Amino acid sequence: MSERYLRELRAELGAVGIRGSRRRRILAETADHLHESGEAARFGEPKLIAALFADELATNGARRAAISSFLVLAAAGIVYTVLFGLINSWPDFTSAKLLPLAIGAAFTMLVAPQVAFAAGLLAVAGAWRLRSETTAPAAEIRVLRRRSAVALGSGAAALAAMAVYAYEYSSGLPGWWQTTAFASVGAALVPVGVAAFALGRNTRVRPQAAGLAGDLFDDLAPVVDRIPLRLRGRPWRFCLLVAAGVAAVALIGGGPDEGPRNAVFEFLAVCAAFAGLGRFLGLRG
Amino acid sequence: MRAETLKGHLDFLLLAILADEPTHGYRIIEELKRRSAGAFELPEGTVYPALHRLEESGLLASSWASGSGRRRRVYRLTPRGRRGLAGARHEWRGFTKAVEAVVA
Repeated sequence: MSERYLRELRAELGAVGIRGSRRRRILAETADHLHESGEAARFGEPKLIAALFADELATNGARRAAISSFLVLAAAGIVYTVLFGLINSWPDFTSAKLLPLAIGAAFTMLVAPQVAFAAGLLAVAGAWRLRSETTAPAAEIRVLRRRSAVALGSGAAALAAMAVYAYEYSSGLPGWWQTTAFASVGAALVPVGVAAFALGRNTRVRPQAAGLAGDLFDDLAPVVDRIPLRLRGRPWRFCLLVAAGVAAVALIGGGPDEGPRNAVFEFLAVCAAFAGLGRFLGLRG
Repeated sequence: MRAETLKGHLDFLLLAILADEPTHGYRIIEELKRRSAGAFELPEGTVYPALHRLEESGLLASSWASGSGRRRRVYRLTPRGRRGLAGARHEWRGFTKAVEAVVA
């Protein structure tokens, strides 16, 4: 009887993506339990137990992955900012070894950190909202995982672009800066890779709980509900408000020469990112 | 008692049982039934996902031990788990006192 039960549980655990050492451990504990109780019926349906394992492990894992991704990216962000700050004079734009690659790297250096920051912040906001949930709906976990993945991917892209930039403009940048950039980027990519690996492992587990994912306004309720504008249910209005805020910062930071151009670029970049990634990251329906 | 009602308090109950001594899953479930005089009865297998989750959260630790000729997973509270239990006990006593004052 218990042999049959264990076979069924093994198959059900595999069906929800729980394999390897975790599955072996669950089966060993179940075998020990059934040996003591002698009643497989009281243990619960294999499908129910497997689904519960998947829901609890996926919820906890996705939440932890979101927080660790943000922390890892915060550290990478410091490295990135310091490297930026160490450049006293920027090299001539056309002095790159391969101009299209250099342009791509420079564009990525500007855009990817902002996407990483926004996605990482949203992942943490989602994790915080779900902090006391033992099992969250599968749709909710999917969104949380996507946000972490986009944050880590963009963070890694930003770091890689910095290394490419250092290589492309080797003739116009100090040698010590290049060496520092390569070493720092390499060191910062290691924890990003570890966090991505942990997220990938969690993604293999397929939660089963039904229900809808919350939206942007649920995640940012403590902030959004204090703004005296009707934003709930109007994601594009929220996007325009954020874009205007980012543009204002770029305008002030860029000064009279570069400010207006930077502000327009930032405004359009925020809107484009919202259009391109908004649905994927659960920001709009 | 309905399983859904119990589910909301399961973590607290598991931590409380493990506060006395480290033990394995079957014993935890038996203890849960014994202390509640049979009121807390739920599919036994549903306790294990909670134990795994509490371990991942750092509130429990576990290791294999040999007993009765079999390997079994023994769970114990971590220092963080002890702190969590103390906080949950304090909160629970405050809550029950307040409810009692309202409904009595």
